[in-house]
Amino acid sequence: MARLDDDMLVCRCEEVTVGEIREAIAQGAFDVVGVKRRTRAGMGLCQGRTCEKLVQQIISQELGVGPHETGSSSVRPPVRPISYGALAEGEF
Amino acid sequence: MKSYDVIVIGGGMMGTASAYYLTQEGMKVCLIERDDIAFGTVSHTDGYIGASEKEPGVDSMQGMASMKLYDEMRKTFDYDFEYSTNENGDPIGFVYFCESEFEMEMAKKQVAENQKLGIEQYMVSVQELRELEPNCATDLLGGMWVPKDAAVCPFKVPFAFVQEARKTGLLDVMTRTEVVDIIQDPNTKAVQGVVTDKGETINAPNIVNACGCWAPFIGAMVGMEIPIEPRFGQLTITEKAGKITQNRLCMEYGYFLTKFFHDGEGERPIPDLVKAYNVCLNITSDLTGNTVIGGCRLFRGFSIKSEYKIMQACAMRGIRFFPMVKDLNCIRAFGGIRPFCLDQLPIVSDVEEVPGFFMAAGHEGDGITLGPITGKLISQYVTGKPLEFELAHEIAWSRFKNKDIAALKAKEEANTRALQEIERKILARL
Ligand SMILES: Cc1cc2nc3c(=O)[nH]c(=O)nc-3n(C[C@H](O)[C@H](O)[C@H](O)COP(=O)(O)OP(=O)(O)OC[C@H]3O[C@@H](n4cnc5c(N)ncnc54)[C@H](O)[C@@H]3O)c2cc1C
Repeated sequence: MARLDDDMLVCRCEEVTVGEIREAIAQGAFDVVGVKRRTRAGMGLCQGRTCEKLVQQIISQELGVGPHETGSSSVRPPVRPISYGALAEGEF
Repeated sequence: MKSYDVIVIGGGMMGTASAYYLTQEGMKVCLIERDDIAFGTVSHTDGYIGASEKEPGVDSMQGMASMKLYDEMRKTFDYDFEYSTNENGDPIGFVYFCESEFEMEMAKKQVAENQKLGIEQYMVSVQELRELEPNCATDLLGGMWVPKDAAVCPFKVPFAFVQEARKTGLLDVMTRTEVVDIIQDPNTKAVQGVVTDKGETINAPNIVNACGCWAPFIGAMVGMEIPIEPRFGQLTITEKAGKITQNRLCMEYGYFLTKFFHDGEGERPIPDLVKAYNVCLNITSDLTGNTVIGGCRLFRGFSIKSEYKIMQACAMRGIRFFPMVKDLNCIRAFGGIRPFCLDQLPIVSDVEEVPGFFMAAGHEGDGITLGPITGKLISQYVTGKPLEFELAHEIAWSRFKNKDIAALKAKEEANTRALQEIERKILARL
């Protein structure tokens, strides 16, 4: 696969580029969670639903490991956004 | 065979801070972490740093000492750990809300004690409270205002320490490596090195135990019984919705009632659900527009799984103090475990019985604040330099020689049983 351009936007919610993800990997990140903590990629509204695959691909290219060895973000509640009013009423 | 001046076990707040300050003293350091840097509690936490959310005395003074070091770090570090200020470039400041006369009395006492220690902290009237935080509830009695307390991005601080320490050329980082044993001289008990899960032996005459909630497992390797237990906390995050709080941290005074075990303390006027999960409100809107709403304090083992019932109690508390929270969306919840030391102070020192072994763990809900002072003290213990904190003996391992650990443990267990009883009753009613 062609090498992605450093300026390309990976995470739109938090505006993280390919270059920033490569830098995080150079500093020691070896999985999706490590990249997320160092760059915020995947921390926005969509919680990585859009960019996670691309992040896995970049890690796999940079470190020469299979995409399945790059981990994935932990799934956390709520399943989809829910209002605090509804939460307080126990509607979950 | 590899050898170093110091091996630091644990790549969280305490481990990376220790590694950083040790390299500044010219020590050759190996930092060993079983997963990634910032894998543990330090990435499941808030990032408030301050002297005011502690007990007046040694606790608040170590906070003050650490805040001074944070101030140096934000001026000298190239790595941005997001020391957050308000729009004027000042620290965000903390506000505490009192909802009963009892809490007002407690707050007044605390303000007087901390002022004596040199911590800037004031009582504020309801009017002043509403000026500071226009969105807060209208039926509060008053509160406390701490202008100098601040916030950082918690998991960026360890990355910053590592990157800054690397500049010295004295730091090796081994991630995805677990320490499974410690080698000691059979006669003197002095430490000589560690064994990793890969079967490798690494040598060093000094070893720092910076494993947070897991510090007791490392301690057991050298025959120590370390009284640290995981204390669960949980937070929720809103969608980006602008300023609910004026970027500062807002807490209910009840924070102190859920954090410390004191006898005969007043009860908060709260729903049973809030009581059962020992929830107290902390809420802050950051400059990016998200608001964090938490939190709870519970003993339930090492699990960090979020629970809907706790999210519900946090939501109730959020709406009670900031009614507009009701209409916000929650996008995520997460949990973490605080390394709770049974006498409610961290353990930072050498260990007389095990020469060359050092403790940097047990910071409960204050580890983000206390990372820098802990790392600095460890570097001074290892190099034998004068200690920078005059009350260092009060947080030293040696204090346990004259402490009744069993009594402390009994108190914690009684507290947990009482909460479980309330939880059982609530669940029975549903
Ligand atoms: C919900 C919540 C909110 C909080 N809010 C705040 C706050 O606002 N302000 C504040 O100051 N504090 C706060 N805290 C407390 C703070 O997060 C902790 O005190 C701090 O993170 C502890 O850091 P640590 O380095 O001791 O532990 P950790 O960050 O857990 O680091 C320990 C490391 O040791 C590693 N390790 C364990 N065993 C081994 C082994 N055998 N070999 C190699 N590595 C090992 C672990 O993987 C881990 O990375 C909060 C905590 C929680 C849970």
